[in-house]
Amino acid sequence: MKQDFIKFPLHLIFHPIDAFWDLKSDNRGRLFVAFAALALTIVMMILQKQYAGFLVNYIDPRTINSIIEIATVAVPFFLWCMANWAVTTLMEGEGKFKEIVLATGYSLIPVILIYAPMIVISRFMVQEETAFYYLFNSIAFFWFVLLLFIGMMTVHQYTVIRTIITMVLTLIVMGIIVFLGALVFSMLQQLYEFGYNIYRELIFRT
Amino acid sequence: MARTVKRWFVLLAAVSLLLVNAMPAAASPAPYESYNYNYWKEAVPSPDAYLPERTLSGRDLGISEFKDPGDMNVSPSGLIYILDSGNSRIVVLAPDFKLLRVIDGFMMDGSKETFNLPGGLFVDEQERIYVADTGNGRVVVLDGEGTLIQTITKPESDILSTQFQFQPLKLTVDHVGRVYVVAQGVYEGIMQFDESGKFIGYVGTNKVERDYGEYIWRMLSTKAQRAQMVLFVPTEFSNADIDHKGFVYATNIDPGSNEPIKRLNPSGEDVLKRFGYYDVKGDIRFRNNPGPSKLIDVKVLGDGMYSVLDATQNRVFTYDDEGHLLYIYGGKGNQVGTLKTPVAIEQSGEHHLVLDRGKNNLVVYEPTRFGARVNEAVALHYRGEDTEAVNIWREVLKLNANYDIAYIGIGKSLLMEKKNEEALSYFELGMDRKSYSVAFKRHRREMMKEHFGTFLTAAIALIVILILTRVTVKWRRRRQVDREAGFH
Repeated sequence: MKQDFIKFPLHLIFHPIDAFWDLKSDNRGRLFVAFAALALTIVMMILQKQYAGFLVNYIDPRTINSIIEIATVAVPFFLWCMANWAVTTLMEGEGKFKEIVLATGYSLIPVILIYAPMIVISRFMVQEETAFYYLFNSIAFFWFVLLLFIGMMTVHQYTVIRTIITMVLTLIVMGIIVFLGALVFSMLQQLYEFGYNIYRELIFRT
Repeated sequence: MARTVKRWFVLLAAVSLLLVNAMPAAASPAPYESYNYNYWKEAVPSPDAYLPERTLSGRDLGISEFKDPGDMNVSPSGLIYILDSGNSRIVVLAPDFKLLRVIDGFMMDGSKETFNLPGGLFVDEQERIYVADTGNGRVVVLDGEGTLIQTITKPESDILSTQFQFQPLKLTVDHVGRVYVVAQGVYEGIMQFDESGKFIGYVGTNKVERDYGEYIWRMLSTKAQRAQMVLFVPTEFSNADIDHKGFVYATNIDPGSNEPIKRLNPSGEDVLKRFGYYDVKGDIRFRNNPGPSKLIDVKVLGDGMYSVLDATQNRVFTYDDEGHLLYIYGGKGNQVGTLKTPVAIEQSGEHHLVLDRGKNNLVVYEPTRFGARVNEAVALHYRGEDTEAVNIWREVLKLNANYDIAYIGIGKSLLMEKKNEEALSYFELGMDRKSYSVAFKRHRREMMKEHFGTFLTAAIALIVILILTRVTVKWRRRRQVDREAGFH
């Protein structure tokens, strides 16, 4: 239990190349952990906006909306997983969908680990020290990107160049999915409106 | 009988109607909606800072109506000078708005000279009147009675081209007699003349904002196309005023500029403090408005405060010396207090005067309790008397609980009194992160000093406990191993 849910994720963020391979070959990854990481990241994002110190918190408190916070993290997460799966299937990636979700989820762990103490520490910072806050936040982000990169590389058994290309393509495909989604949504809406108008017309005439 | 009763009723009704109309308008709210910008750059309603008291037209003064009045100045002794451009005369009023005299010309070289569409006017401490006589291309200096002292005509200088037309629009004079002239078609800055009328040079050029998109577009176009394009020249200044330290406040009407107000030091650099949440440029949000503020006049009010007049929405914006927007009043319209084509703003005692060319009159605004208190507190703060300012700020907060500057003012005073923790909450309410940081630093150091002993004891205790548990665990484990090996 402890081995799978705490020790392995912590081992993973410091030894990603070994650990991602273990995750793939020895089936060490747990979906529960990946989703927990996603959920905790969302929680951290919300907590940061609400409770980060006054000197670093430039959020208008009236604009904080948890639903939107959830969507801004969860939607890109799943979009990434789907787009990456779609791209890598075509590009001879060896990763399964589950493995992509696992790798992406596990990569979020440093974000949680850094954000949590930074929210507390930021409340005791003065203006000159806020640089550290921003520094650590950037470290969290780059760590995440690095883990994601190594994760993708290991899971799909790619070379470095190929991984970079796939990741960029994934981002493009994410955009395309959003675009198509918006298109379908607006078409459906127009279709609905058309049907509704016909219905109204019939009701009115008869 | 019934008829008489009826008649009485009708009469009563008529009288009551008359009485309703005769009700004094003193309690009436302003004909404009006062607002101020909060930290999030939203326009939020605010109490009125100034209310229109009355208007003054030429007929009210017992002379012919004003015609396109162009400028106005209140001399240090309190006399109000109105430059009635259309009638080519200067109307002088006493501080109580009674007519003193009218100057409609002066004697020069034995003949009577008049003004020709004069644009600007300034009166210095010795009651000398400086008139920017635009149509005649000269600056006329008169004494208080209207006799000519000197004229400043087209300057002779190597840096001026021969085709240069000297058309002074507005002017201001410092206490040693240097004249600063805003002239038409002069993009190099404000023209500066010495006390004898000799041209010294320009001060405070407006910088051209670089537009990189336009720059690339220019590189791609042909020479013929380029010749047809708009030239990017610096904007002209629209008006100038001077504070008691000799710093020239100047406004320009460049719509793209974020720094339309400048405070020029003697070497012509802009030293205006802009420590507020947003740019010092009048309206900062204009979703339904016709665009950014077009600032056409500036008046230094003293104690670091200055008011600017916006010709887009016909409003007056007042700032303190640090660049905080204090209050906004005025607006477009035809009622008393709203303005049609404002051209100049002045201060006479407590009152603010705005000259309206469109309505050919002078609007007198008087401060409300809110406005007066704000002025008072800002002045005290400017003089460094923050402790006295606090009580007034607290009163301001009673009148407007959303007044951020008041929170900051109280916070700063608390900071001075070393009440750091209390100051924190005030700075947070005023969204002043810089001062908050200072207060927090001090508060943190205090807390550290106070609780360092406790903290260290706890830390040492924690470390000792950790070591002890580790040792115990190890010892137990070894004992277990030993026991299994049969040593005990």
